Amino acid sequence: MEEKIISKEDLLNLCKDVIGNGHTLITPGKTEYTVVKDTSEIVLDTTAKPTKASYKTFVFPKAEPVIYYKRGKNDVQLLDVEVEQKKTVILGAKPCDTNSFNILRHLFNWDYKDEFYNVREKQFIVIGLMCNFSDNFCFCTSVGSSPVSDKGADIFLVPLDENNYTLRVVTEKGGEFIKDYSKYLNAGDEAKTKAVTDTVKHPEIAFDSKQVHEWLGTNFENPKWDGVGDLCLSCAQCAFVCPVCHCFDIVDEDYNYTEGRRMKNWDGCQFGHFTLHASGHNPRDIQGKRYRQRVNHKFKYYVDKFGEILCTGCGRCSRGCAVSIDIKEIVSNCKD
Amino acid sequence: MDDLRKYAAELLEKGEVAAVIGYQQVSEKRTKPIIAKTAEDCAKLVFNEYCLNNLAVYLTKARVKELRRVNGAVLKLAITAKPCDVHGIVALIQESQLKREDVTIISFNCAGVVKDFGMDFNGETLATKCVPCDTHKPLYSDMVFGEEKETPKVSDEVLAKIESIEKMSAAERFEYFKAEFDKCIKCYACRAACPLCYCQRCITDKTIPRWVESSAHSRGNFSWNVVRAFHLSGRCIGCGECERACPMDIPLSLLNRKMVIEAKEAYSYISGRSLETPTLVGSFDVKDSDELFM
Repeated sequence: MEEKIISKEDLLNLCKDVIGNGHTLITPGKTEYTVVKDTSEIVLDTTAKPTKASYKTFVFPKAEPVIYYKRGKNDVQLLDVEVEQKKTVILGAKPCDTNSFNILRHLFNWDYKDEFYNVREKQFIVIGLMCNFSDNFCFCTSVGSSPVSDKGADIFLVPLDENNYTLRVVTEKGGEFIKDYSKYLNAGDEAKTKAVTDTVKHPEIAFDSKQVHEWLGTNFENPKWDGVGDLCLSCAQCAFVCPVCHCFDIVDEDYNYTEGRRMKNWDGCQFGHFTLHASGHNPRDIQGKRYRQRVNHKFKYYVDKFGEILCTGCGRCSRGCAVSIDIKEIVSNCKD
Repeated sequence: MDDLRKYAAELLEKGEVAAVIGYQQVSEKRTKPIIAKTAEDCAKLVFNEYCLNNLAVYLTKARVKELRRVNGAVLKLAITAKPCDVHGIVALIQESQLKREDVTIISFNCAGVVKDFGMDFNGETLATKCVPCDTHKPLYSDMVFGEEKETPKVSDEVLAKIESIEKMSAAERFEYFKAEFDKCIKCYACRAACPLCYCQRCITDKTIPRWVESSAHSRGNFSWNVVRAFHLSGRCIGCGECERACPMDIPLSLLNRKMVIEAKEAYSYISGRSLETPTLVGSFDVKDSDELFM
């Protein structure tokens, strides 16, 4: 790990070069992370609220074709989809977002290596930014992260003063990337960085994830799940804005009688028909069972399978919920 | 606030209602729905400018309807509703989803609510749905609380935007809405938050045949958002919950408000205003203008 200092002006110059080199540059916009066309659009604000949507759509698009098909008289021709080879740089990702690939990677490389995800993730450079925002919905500290964590980032920025940032090279990938821009970097000062990060207010730890994991193992039938269900409206806002929710649906879209494509679309476990069987039976027929699944998947099943909590503590799901269902509150309540 | 809590607790105690659907405060500038079933729950009820939800959405939920069955009897449900939310309840009654005698409406004199939680209440933060609002007192209710207060006067930005869109060429309009709809992620929060999207099985969930593509690409998003606007034409009561629920900030009120204006101009009809009036789409008069028929 190596620390450098970069001036604000040079950071923008670096961005200009990134765009000039034909890479895609993404930065937090008003609602979602957006592609930067001109560096004047870039606003790096540590106190900004997390965007409503995460940036997972750039590695795991909301809808993407996975194969094209053509039906002949006696056969079906298949045409593979090539994933575009293009470097993408995310600038200003919050620590609760930077860790998302570390979590998602397990799922997309488990029983099947998902080429679409992997090709994109390999081309990604994540430049994180220290966070100075905190509201009632933040709980990164309860899931093993913090507002100053560089976990998952390739490069991490800490604002030192009005005009300068500490630029920390976190991964080898980040080191390779920054080589091309070394002219903008000056010698770093770790003591100065620490002085800044030490002042950052951390969200209070709301729950002990190990205890939650244990409680979930023995409380599948707990009546507590019922109350959650009465209020939830069964949309997928929570799943779709989540940086690590990854369920998808496979559907065929016909253009005409002989041609079409197979799509991979986001899906959400709070939809009533998510688990509806063709027979008409629905094992998660009421909302309480669906929310129980959401919490169990995040804090139990994923931990059992991959050793990671399927949650970054960004609080987006709760902040954006039309009926203010607060996952932090619910998980904190997962105890006797 | 004490009046409201006392009244609600009494309704429960007398066995008149099975539950009171209301708001509870979760932080200084945020409330969330609560289904109060005990006097203890009723002590949490509030009404203020942070009561953003249109709770009428819960009245058609199967799980909430089930709550009415208590010890072999079928009780009423009570609901706290802003005057605009009462329009939603009336529309549900007009559409035979609910009977007037099955619901106890606890309403308030309302001077508007904030755009979003966490904001101070002033003219600038008045919710867009409140700007053109002309119903500060409920049209129907069983009990009304709260003082009558003046609503802040704010310019009607949504109307101005609709007018500017009307001046666009068809191609420009298409581009405008394409850019907005492209943001859609098909989470269906708009549908979930809408009191009038009560279909047990939405047309988008039908797969044989698939009428609306489930993919969140331009074509699929256009299909969904246009189908929804059409299905709510002459039915939308303008509570703005779809727009508030949308995580992608799609200006859905532009479409819905435009449809409300069209229905009013062509048929002098506004949804949810009168229990005596049949619904616009459910009634026909030979004198009706056929200009809008498709």
